[in-house]
Amino acid sequence: MLKKIWAIFLRDLKVGSRDSLTLIIIIMPILLGIGVNLLTPSINDTTVNLALLEGENPAQAEYFADFAKVELFPNEEAIETRVKKRDHIVGILPDGDRYYIMSQGNEPESVIEMAKLVNMYYAEGINLEDATAKLFEFGETVPPLKKMLTNTLIIMISILGGMLITFNIIEEKTDHTISAMNVTTVSKNAYLLGKSLVGMLYPVFSTIVILLITGFRDVNLGQLILMVIVSSFLSLLIGFIQGINNDDVMSAAASVKMLFLPVGAAIAAIELLNQKWQILFYWIPFYWTYKGNDAVLLNSATWPQILLYSGIVLALGLIVYLYLSPKIRKGLA
Amino acid sequence: MIKVEGLYHSYSNDENYAVKNANFEIPKGEIFGFLGPSGAGKSTTQGILTGLLQLQKGNVNVAGYDVKNISQKMFNKIGMSFEQSNVYSKLTAKENLDFYRKLFDGQTREPADLLKLVGLDGKENVRAGEFSKGMKHRLTFARSMINNPELWFLDEPTTGLDPAIASEIKDIIRKENNNGVTVFLTTHNMFIADELCNRVAFIVDGEIKLIDSPKNLKLQYGEQLVDVEFRKNGTVVKETFSTIKEEEKQRLQKVILDYEIQSMHTKEATLEEIFIKVTGRGLV
Ligand SMILES: Nc1ncnc2c1ncn2[C@@H]1O[C@H](COP(=O)(O)OP(=O)(O)O)[C@@H](O)[C@H]1O
Ligand SMILES: [Mg+2]
Repeated sequence: MLKKIWAIFLRDLKVGSRDSLTLIIIIMPILLGIGVNLLTPSINDTTVNLALLEGENPAQAEYFADFAKVELFPNEEAIETRVKKRDHIVGILPDGDRYYIMSQGNEPESVIEMAKLVNMYYAEGINLEDATAKLFEFGETVPPLKKMLTNTLIIMISILGGMLITFNIIEEKTDHTISAMNVTTVSKNAYLLGKSLVGMLYPVFSTIVILLITGFRDVNLGQLILMVIVSSFLSLLIGFIQGINNDDVMSAAASVKMLFLPVGAAIAAIELLNQKWQILFYWIPFYWTYKGNDAVLLNSATWPQILLYSGIVLALGLIVYLYLSPKIRKGLA
Repeated sequence: MIKVEGLYHSYSNDENYAVKNANFEIPKGEIFGFLGPSGAGKSTTQGILTGLLQLQKGNVNVAGYDVKNISQKMFNKIGMSFEQSNVYSKLTAKENLDFYRKLFDGQTREPADLLKLVGLDGKENVRAGEFSKGMKHRLTFARSMINNPELWFLDEPTTGLDPAIASEIKDIIRKENNNGVTVFLTTHNMFIADELCNRVAFIVDGEIKLIDSPKNLKLQYGEQLVDVEFRKNGTVVKETFSTIKEEEKQRLQKVILDYEIQSMHTKEATLEEIFIKVTGRGLV
């Protein structure tokens, strides 16, 4: 039976690769991921380029070299010229017995902060190991906008996974092939499972790609994938029912679009609203997905926390399943 | 191979039956023709037999399986060619068959061989969406053979095909039957039925009116028909009379006495004429 389920999945994949709308859905998140990257500062800039005066303080230069790329220049003008170049490099220059930071102004805040920290650690005589640990932590601090956009993108991907199922069902309806399927040894459950695979694997795969693109490479992948899978369960149920209720791809896409309303509401609630309003949004599964993803992206999620959130999403998904399952089965008879 | 007892089916779940009290049995190796005009309930009956429609009332046994609770395994033994062709337009002819063969357990047939059989060789790598209606129909037909079925359901397999291809399809059916395949053939094409079927059922308005072999039917009705053209109130009327039915014999006598006869031929009845005689209905 597994072989047949796999055959159904591969067929869907093959047809998808021949369908322009499906291809758009597959490529869109990647483009959006690149967009997120361009819009927001990058995360893992633990290496900072520093420009120092040659021979001014060799011990300092040596200390800095351990966590930054150090370039040495003969005089202040040379450093200034270097800092003015397009890449992110800041100068650290002596000013009496203290040091000041010379920057061009377009460097990401994190680079400046980092330079200040390095400088401070040296001044306070913090030993190398402590400093490295602290700096690493600092470098990991995630820009909030980037985290929010990436999280939203991951949720969107799961909904798009459902949309892929919708397209597949509409294809089968247009070609009247469901009846041909019904006279094979494939049971309805196996058929539903086979069709679901696209809606499950696509989000998992795309999410990983998004993490790679946006630079969230050190998050707990297991936790995130669990969140993605439970959210996709809900998305694929909706994908099935939209496929059954619609006869053309455009009207189906329009209905699926409605889903972005509760998603948007949940995100807005978490990001903008006061704690006391949160309870109003508890019924939205994506609320919990967003919270879970957020914690994972922050690298602060614990397993009990993720199990709780994914459990809630799954429970809400099961309610939807109990409601939709008979309709889906009937629709595919 | 098939046993049907007291089968009823209503799409509206009321007394408005699309199939009414159908009873028949099909032994292994037979070609059984299910004949009737469009809307008679042929596809509905076939749908119930193949599990596409939920059995509502009656007992149906197909290939040793009780249709009340169908086991998916049953479909290893069954082939089904649909009236309305249903293949994946975005897949090529070969891909359609390659995919479908994976959905059965036993030995399956080579897609290339099947495509050749139905005259689609050379079109293996063309997407079905680019096929003509007839080509799609042939692909649907070919697909129904992929699992080497013991029992083969054919819903209007020749409808809409040009006569040369229809004749090839007919030959394929006969050949498969010679290899022991039982065939349940639904059609309103009486010539095909006449040539192929061991027995036929006449079905009208959901009711089976008669089941017999074409041979018996012709013995009973054939060569005893008279085509008469006569002038009545200034126009030429054409009528066919049976020479064995008492009532028709008397009417024929009356026509001969009362009107001016233009022509008069005895002839062998076609299955179509017999159908009309028996059911009082045409086939369209
Ligand atoms: N899905 C359906 N829903 C409601 N009525 C149907 C459906 N399919 C067929 N019917 C009706 O049932 C009767 C028998 O149809 P069908 O079995 O398709 O006839 P045939 O195959 O002999 O042409 C017709 O009156 C038809 O209108
Ligand atoms: Mg029909």
